[in-house]
Amino acid sequence: MLEIEGLTRRFGSVKAVDGVSLTVPAGQMVGVIGRSGAGKSTLLRLINRLAEPSEGRIRFDGRDVTALSGRALRDWRTECAMIFQQFNLVQRLDVLTNVLIGRLNHRHGVLARLGSLFCQFSPAERAMALAALERFDLLSTALQRADTLSGGQQQRVAICRALMQEPRLILADEPIASLDPRNARTVMDALAEVNRRDGLTVMVNLHHLDTAREYCTRVIAMQQGRVVFDGAPAELNAARITQIYGITEAEFQAEAAAAVNATPAHGFGPQVALA
Amino acid sequence: MSALRMAPAEIAAWQARVPRAFGPSSRGRALRVLGGVAFLAWLIGTLWWFDVSPRRMWNGLEGLLVITRLMIPPSPGEQWVEILQGLAESLAMAFLGTFIAALIAVPLGFLGANNVVTNTLFRFSLRRVFDGFRGVDQLIWALAYVRAVGLGPLAGVLAIATADIAVLAKLYAEAIENAEKKQAEGIAAAGGSPTLIMRFGILPQVAPIMLGHALYFFESNTRSATILGVVGAGGIGLQIAERIRVRHWDEVAFIIILMVLMVAAIDWLSGKLRRRLIGAR
Repeated sequence: MLEIEGLTRRFGSVKAVDGVSLTVPAGQMVGVIGRSGAGKSTLLRLINRLAEPSEGRIRFDGRDVTALSGRALRDWRTECAMIFQQFNLVQRLDVLTNVLIGRLNHRHGVLARLGSLFCQFSPAERAMALAALERFDLLSTALQRADTLSGGQQQRVAICRALMQEPRLILADEPIASLDPRNARTVMDALAEVNRRDGLTVMVNLHHLDTAREYCTRVIAMQQGRVVFDGAPAELNAARITQIYGITEAEFQAEAAAAVNATPAHGFGPQVALA
Repeated sequence: MSALRMAPAEIAAWQARVPRAFGPSSRGRALRVLGGVAFLAWLIGTLWWFDVSPRRMWNGLEGLLVITRLMIPPSPGEQWVEILQGLAESLAMAFLGTFIAALIAVPLGFLGANNVVTNTLFRFSLRRVFDGFRGVDQLIWALAYVRAVGLGPLAGVLAIATADIAVLAKLYAEAIENAEKKQAEGIAAAGGSPTLIMRFGILPQVAPIMLGHALYFFESNTRSATILGVVGAGGIGLQIAERIRVRHWDEVAFIIILMVLMVAAIDWLSGKLRRRLIGAR
C-alpha cells in the first residue's frame, strides 16, 4: 500500500505539487489527469524520488520512502518502475540489452557488478528477458537496435524493462502521449494486463479522459498541484469536469493534447549536436 | 511476473530457440578471439620494436625530473621583449592562417556537399583531394613553405592555411549536407536561383556552425603555431628551440607558462563567442 501525506514540491515560489495526500491500496489501476502544469508528472517523479519532495512523506508498506538514500533508494526505484512519455530507452543498444537493464539492480556481489560493466548477463536472465519480450509480441525484435522500433514497440520494450525490475508498483508518465491511437491501445492494454495478471499497482498520467475511464479503476484529478477529485471514473462525468476546471470536456482534452505534444520531444537539431 | 525464476529446462529451451541472444555464434566468437590475439600481438610487437622497458622508462623519468628542477624558478631572462614579440607573432599567425583557411573553405565546402553539387564524379574527386591534403601534416607544409618563401611567419601562415583548408572544407560540406531541405525549398518556391537558394536557404543555417568550427580551429592553431617556429616558420617556437639547445630551462619554463596562459585566454574567449553564436542562431 502506498501512502502519501501532505506531499509538496516547490520550484522557486511555485508549488508544483501542493499538499497531496493519497492512499493507494495494492493492485489498483489509478489514472491521474489534469491540465498541463497541474503537477501530475512531478507527483510521479516524487514517488520514484527522481525529484526530491520539499515537504511531506511517502510511505510504502509502512516504510518511509522519503528518508531513503544510496543503496536503499536504488532498491526503492527498482521496486517502483517508471515508464516515460519518450520511452527513455538507450537507442544504440539492442532491445534485449535494454530489457536486461531492468535487471541491473538485482545483481549483487562484486563479480556480478563487474560483469554488468561488460554486459555479461546469465542465461537465466537472458531467458527471462526473452520471455518478457515474447509476452508483448516483441521477440522477433530482440536483437535489433532500439531505435529501429516504432514508438509503440519501444514503449512495450520499456514495459518489459520495467517488469524485469520485478516491481511492486508501476508509474507511467503520459505513456501514450507520443503514440498514434492504435499503438496507444496496445500499450494501455499491456499496462492493464500487467495490473490484472501480475497484480501490480499502476499509476498512470493521462490526458485523455476516455482512456482513463476505460482502463482505470480510480481516477485522480489534479489542478495547480492539488488533488481536486478522487473517485470512481464514472463519477467524473462531463458536468463534473466543467465544475472542476471551468471548461468543457472537449476543451480540456484539446488543451491537454496540445500541451503534451508541445513539449520538445526530439528538440535537438543538428546545430546543437555540433556545438 | 512470478514466473521469473525459470527452470533450467526452460532456460535451455530458450537457448535453443534464440541462440544469438545468449552470445555470439561460434564463428563470431572465433573472430573475436582472433581479433584480440592480433591486437595483443601488435601491442607487444611495437613495445618490443621500440625497446620499451621499465628500466628505460624509469631513467627517462629521472631525466625529466632533472629538467623540471632546472626549470624552477622560471625566469624571463634578458630578452623578454623578444619573447612577447614571439608570442604575439604566433597568435597573429594562427589568426591569419585560420582566417584564410576558413574563407577559402566556404566555397569549397559548398562544392563538396552532395545537396549542392549533384555531379557525383566531381564531388567524389574533390573530396579525395581534401583527403589528400589532410594526410599531410602542418609541420611538413611548414618545411616546404620555408624553402619556398623563406624563413619567417609567412611560411607559418601558409602552412596553417593549407593544412586547415581541406579539413574545414570537409566539415563545412558535412554541415551543409545536414542543413534542412525545407528551408531551401521555401526559397526555390519563391523563384530563387540556385545561388540565392544557397545564400538565403542554406547559409543562414550553416553560418553559425561554420563560424564555430573556425573559432575552434583558431584555438587549436594557437597551440600548434607555437611549434612551427622550430622549423623556422616564425613565432615563439624558434626561441624555445634555441633556449633548449643552450639549456636555459628556466627561460623555457617562463615561455611555456606564458603560452599556457595565452592559449587558456583564447580558449575561454572563443568558447564564449561560440556559445553566443550558436545560441543566437
